[in-house]
Amino acid sequence: MMSAISDRPSDRDAPEQSDVPVLELAGVSKSFGGVHALRSVDFTLRTGQIHGLVGENGAGKSTLMKIIAGLHHEFEGVMRMDGKEARFRSSRDALNAGIAMVHQELSIVPDLSVAENVFLGNQPTRGGLIDWKRMLREARSHLNGLGIEVDPRARIGSLSIGLQQLIEIARVLFSGARIIILDEPTSALSPPEVERLFALLRKLREKGKSFIFISHFLDDILRISDEVTIFRNGRKIVTSPNAGIDKLWVIDRMIGQGHEELGETYTGEFELKSQRNAPIVLRATGLAWQKALRNVSLDVRAGEILGIYGSMGCGVVELTRALFGKIKPHGVLALEGKPLKLTTTASARRLGMALVPESRRSMLFHHEPLYKNVTISILERISYLWLKPRIERDITDQQIGSLHIRTSGVNALLGHLSGGNQQKVALAKWLTHAPKVLILSEPTRGMDVGAKEDVVKIVRSLRDQGMAIVVASTEPETILSLADRVLVMKKGEIVREFANEMVSKDRLLEVA
Amino acid sequence: MAISETPVSTRRNLTPWFRSQLRNIAPFATLLFLVIFFSLSSPSFLTTANFFNILNQVSITAMIAVGLTFVILCAEIDLSVAAIANVTGIVVAWFTLQESYVNIANMPLSGSAAVVFALLACLGLGLINAAGVTLIGIPSFIMTLAMMQIADGISAMLVRGQIAYAVPPIISTLGSGQIFGISWIVIVAALMLLIAHLVLTYTRFGRYVYMVGGNREAAEFSGVNVKLVIGTVMVIGAVSSGIAGMLGVAYFGSAQQNEFTPYLLDAIAAVVVGGTSLFGGRGGIGNTIIGLFVLGVLNNGLDHVQIDPFFKILIRGLILLAALVINVYAQKMRESARD
Repeated sequence: MMSAISDRPSDRDAPEQSDVPVLELAGVSKSFGGVHALRSVDFTLRTGQIHGLVGENGAGKSTLMKIIAGLHHEFEGVMRMDGKEARFRSSRDALNAGIAMVHQELSIVPDLSVAENVFLGNQPTRGGLIDWKRMLREARSHLNGLGIEVDPRARIGSLSIGLQQLIEIARVLFSGARIIILDEPTSALSPPEVERLFALLRKLREKGKSFIFISHFLDDILRISDEVTIFRNGRKIVTSPNAGIDKLWVIDRMIGQGHEELGETYTGEFELKSQRNAPIVLRATGLAWQKALRNVSLDVRAGEILGIYGSMGCGVVELTRALFGKIKPHGVLALEGKPLKLTTTASARRLGMALVPESRRSMLFHHEPLYKNVTISILERISYLWLKPRIERDITDQQIGSLHIRTSGVNALLGHLSGGNQQKVALAKWLTHAPKVLILSEPTRGMDVGAKEDVVKIVRSLRDQGMAIVVASTEPETILSLADRVLVMKKGEIVREFANEMVSKDRLLEVA
Repeated sequence: MAISETPVSTRRNLTPWFRSQLRNIAPFATLLFLVIFFSLSSPSFLTTANFFNILNQVSITAMIAVGLTFVILCAEIDLSVAAIANVTGIVVAWFTLQESYVNIANMPLSGSAAVVFALLACLGLGLINAAGVTLIGIPSFIMTLAMMQIADGISAMLVRGQIAYAVPPIISTLGSGQIFGISWIVIVAALMLLIAHLVLTYTRFGRYVYMVGGNREAAEFSGVNVKLVIGTVMVIGAVSSGIAGMLGVAYFGSAQQNEFTPYLLDAIAAVVVGGTSLFGGRGGIGNTIIGLFVLGVLNNGLDHVQIDPFFKILIRGLILLAALVINVYAQKMRESARD
């Protein structure tokens, strides 16, 4: 087997395989209430192929994958599997046909054993009871067959994320998948874990399994894929064999014209212009919380954006919660030199802390009008007992104007806004009475390029007004596009500080 | 994908409107149907006298339902409301001078002191509920189940199987007296409903109740003191039940054990039948009023038609089930409208 050396399938395609692609989509369009998520997309996946898929958030990748995996069943155009038209009513339907999706957030059950997870939903039984012996035996042989060395009796939650992911892939294979969609499979993995994943993928490619590999990590895409398809604004821009193309070529097509600055975050070196003399607004000393935070100390200065980067599960999320009184770590916090006691999120808000969490759903009220969403955090300031809806609407109107929120008005239901606009609302909640420290977790996740640039602009202008801002993210691009100083977290600890120096995505990934 | 998950619905046809309003339409249609049905089946039903009957009959339930509306809007539940009503009624009688033939070792005080102690009793029990749910983190379902037993236990200890009859004059007037031909108990219930409506609709606290019920996590991330809001609604639930209990004892003319038991189901039914979401965040006092009338008309109407009295209980159960189905269904349609 030459798989380790040759990544090109074209010269390696087994002759007995027919020319009929295992999966083919032609002219597929999908819109959501007038917003075109996909416009007449053609896509072809061959047997034994690893097909890389890239595009900005909102480019249409996820929509296409959801169609393939049976999550969206209403769309225009044709989908063919092995040359026969296919249309799945549900993800179960797709799975029965041999298509499985492995999400970034794995669908394992952490408290069950490895074997139970591999067999989840179809455990072997004897006389109505689970046949444990057989299950352990088969799980072991199945996993070993894939080169995954693990005790099938181990509780899966106790294993590393990388191993959990391999086991999930093993599971979908076991349930008969021939086409596996991998959504950001490498984002939470360490370099050796990535190697192990790629080894498995190459092995499975030899066996005729096909993969769609979605990732923001272009290096990973370019290393493993046989072909690369690039999406932008709901259109397929190009599909190219992975030969003679490089990162710059891909980025150019991914972000299109006129977004050079954003493009730099993928490639360039950034010079961090950190403020060394500005007064310290927030100081944390020796924060510790369960296993997630270990002795974390940091300063945030007035008029600076402090970026905190780390891979999934490194403790960044917990850190943002600790700074907003949602969890109560050991250690000391001080705001403007005075001790800061955060007993509840309400006390954090009153003392001038503000947090926009990574998930908009956990910040916003989808079935309430826009103005109630905007004013909930400042209600205390505008009303003591009786509500003042007129003032609330005026405040909201101002925010709509200053943040360029696209909406039909202050009474529009929040759920009717697009993702980018919802993110602006999440920001607007805190901006009518400026907080002393603004903490943003994944501020640009899931946004299209335009909305992303808007948010970057807003955050920078807040910084320029002197606000102390913390941006936490697992995406290096987000950190690079905003931060003046960067802390890198790893396993609950801060392992590196970048200040007044050149920094790039590669260097961040290196230390994290 | 940001764009895909947020459909921008611009279509304006009747179905989405109907779907979003099902929660409000269904209870009203039920009420209309019941009124028409009973009016046609019995000549004695649709009369002014009977209308006031119904008002009297639903008043105690209404007072308990006022507090429960707050609790259910926060996506919590209080199963101890009837037991707290009972113990509060017994406490007010316990501090009142009873006739010599009542064999209870009680402690007669002045009328106003008795009322104050009774209010303190329900306030205290409500605070214990609140502490259990917010500080310790016991699910309200279990916490108030325990409280139900505790309150019943205190009732039993106080009256020891006996029956007390006397209550302070003010309670007696409000519970069984009339003014201009209208029962005081109806006026008190209406006032409580009105105040609750104003609080829920026009005050900051009311807004917090809806927001905490609608999305508790988002409320917390917005810097709302979620535990304080939930604790407060548990206390409101207990105190409104306590008031219902005091006036109820006067209304019944006696204070004894297990006298309020049916009111637990009635009050929950009134709130839920009215269309307040069991999942929190939707509904309100308007819904509760409709729910109270549905229950009141049903209970009263079944007495006007020839029907097996035992079948009555079953019918009430079936109506409640139907309301629950609509309640959950309305919630699901709301959820699906977002995806």
